[in-house]
Amino acid sequence: MNPLETRGKSRILLWVLLAVAIVIYGFPFLYLLLTSFKTPLDAISVPPSVLPETWTLDNYVAALSRGGVPAALINSVTTAVVSTVLSLVLAVPAAYAITRFRTPSGRVFIVAALVTRMVPTIAVGAPLIELMRTLGLTDTSFGLALAHTTISLPLSIWLMASFFEAVPDELSEAAEVDGCSRIQAMVRVVLPVVSGGLAVTAIFAFLASWNEFLFALLLTSVRAQTTPVVIANFQSQFGLDWGGMTALAAIYSLPVILLTLFLQRHIVAGLTLGAVKG
Amino acid sequence: MKLRTARPGRPGRRTLIAAASVSAAALVLSGCGVGGSGEAASDTDELTVVVEGGGKAELQPIADLYKEETGTTVTLVELPYAGLYDRVSSELQAGQPSFDVAALDAIWLPAFAPALAPLDDLYTDDVESDLFGGLVSEAKVDDSFVGMPVWTNSEILFYRTDLFEDAQNMADFEAEYGYALAAPTTWEEYRDVAEFFTRDTDGDGTVDLYGTDVKGAVETEWLATVSQAGEETMVLDAATGEVTIDSAAHQEALDFYVSLLPFAPAGAAQLDWAGSQNLFYQGNLAMMRFWGHAYRQTPDDSPVKDSIGVAPMIGGPAGVAGVPGAWYLSVPASGAKQDAAKEFVAFAYEHNALAADTSLGLVARKSAFESKAGEPGFENYPALVTTLEAPQSLPRPATPEWQEIVDSVLVPLMQKAVEPGADTAQLLSEAKSQIEAIVE
Repeated sequence: MNPLETRGKSRILLWVLLAVAIVIYGFPFLYLLLTSFKTPLDAISVPPSVLPETWTLDNYVAALSRGGVPAALINSVTTAVVSTVLSLVLAVPAAYAITRFRTPSGRVFIVAALVTRMVPTIAVGAPLIELMRTLGLTDTSFGLALAHTTISLPLSIWLMASFFEAVPDELSEAAEVDGCSRIQAMVRVVLPVVSGGLAVTAIFAFLASWNEFLFALLLTSVRAQTTPVVIANFQSQFGLDWGGMTALAAIYSLPVILLTLFLQRHIVAGLTLGAVKG
Repeated sequence: MKLRTARPGRPGRRTLIAAASVSAAALVLSGCGVGGSGEAASDTDELTVVVEGGGKAELQPIADLYKEETGTTVTLVELPYAGLYDRVSSELQAGQPSFDVAALDAIWLPAFAPALAPLDDLYTDDVESDLFGGLVSEAKVDDSFVGMPVWTNSEILFYRTDLFEDAQNMADFEAEYGYALAAPTTWEEYRDVAEFFTRDTDGDGTVDLYGTDVKGAVETEWLATVSQAGEETMVLDAATGEVTIDSAAHQEALDFYVSLLPFAPAGAAQLDWAGSQNLFYQGNLAMMRFWGHAYRQTPDDSPVKDSIGVAPMIGGPAGVAGVPGAWYLSVPASGAKQDAAKEFVAFAYEHNALAADTSLGLVARKSAFESKAGEPGFENYPALVTTLEAPQSLPRPATPEWQEIVDSVLVPLMQKAVEPGADTAQLLSEAKSQIEAIVE
């Protein structure tokens, strides 16, 4: 067998394995999507069927006309955007300073940031309720975004630090020689280089807020309730509305999928940043 | 060294402007949030009621009428069942609840009672006489009423009328068991009927119709069976802490419960309420014992939609018994608007019948149940009333540790008991030790 044939077969095997992995990984979401088009009886059939027997959009109509759903969708977007911006605004300079100056306190700080990730979220729930009430931020999207930032900020600092590490110091030094201040060197020269990493960090911060449930449950009630809490309401003590729940979950997944597609180029650039040096 | 160019990943000016605009808009919106009225929670003409997801519809018509008659807006905050407990618990502990009224599951009242305002002045003789005995006793914790029932529920018997009224089935059953086929009223009849209907209907060699289900992932149905067996002190005496779960009645109830396994689908250990309901709606069960609200929840496309009959819960040696599943309106003792909140609670009791015409259709007052007598769509009401009025329909123990006992002892007990060859006496003995460790 010549090397070209061997390579071709390996490639086919690789694609098959990849396809299987995608099916396994994506099946839960696919099943959710298909269930959202099923009739009530079809959705609870025993044994379950993958494809709807009769396709219907009734679940989408019911989910979107349920009280509080449109407001919750807007609240989710608002909270996630504010939390993402806060995370980036705080994480970028912190990570830049840590990687650029490499001081002992910086090393302690970045480890301490990681340690905060190890505290169970529920443990800080009750103190956060008290804190937000004192600050007058209970049931506001800004208050919830602040709470979400406590989750995403440590990860954002670590991610950005790893991206800044990949940029040679000479680059910012050259910018400073050319007359830039340290901040200007970061903003005008280094940040554009790590824009892919910035996109990756933004996506992670956005997702952390978009999918967060516990803080949203504890810190919001009427005005700032986000969609994950509303989705959970489809399961009550009196039954589970599979159709409505899956329809809203499918709608809720759309913006994240679109955002990922929109930023795909930056994400790939970010993930490969630093892979090859010199 | 060749530096990486920034161009491929560099965001354009328009992208930056768009991102900045979105961020600015989000920042402005985040100041409050877009749900609800946006008015301050301290407004005297506004009340906030937290309620479990499924119960919101029950309270909505009452809240609407309250607004119409008093001008006070009642905002119903819907939370998932488990989330409601966590939320109420953390806010009551913090001492400054964001809600004025909470709709609470009966089993939570003992745990929350110290932080709830007494509602004794609402419990007149007329009120007490219009409520089921179990509901009144559940509402009273440490000699004080801490909740007003807003709706109640109980397990009743659901059966398929197309099977029960089939002439061939009727004749075959009578020939085999010596009495007429009808909705069972006793343990023995229930077992007979369950056995009779467990069959292979399409002749493919596999059983596809089961007489009943056996739920191993929930505990309440067994607790009802315990009361049917004649136990007066279910699981434990909350006043003395004495654990009774290994009594003869508990044993007898558990043995009957698992004796139905041959007439039920496999996988009992994992079967919960939702699973049971699904099996019945699919037409896989001839009977199920289930909460009364399910009568109004049958999917339109269910093959049994027009063939569902209801009857009171079955009885054991001590007669009919169900476990009351009531929800109560309670007022936090640290609430800022207690008087207004109590007025709403009194109003909700007064107009309790409005909840009958909602998706769940559950009410709490006897008079509200009676107001729908004979009305189509409310055939489950007589079955609910008969079950709730039965002397053995006793509430669950009023102990703050009840939820912990359920999660860590009773549900695992049920899951083990429905496994083949389980030693029920041994399991009950182990459960007793575990519960003693919790309450001591």
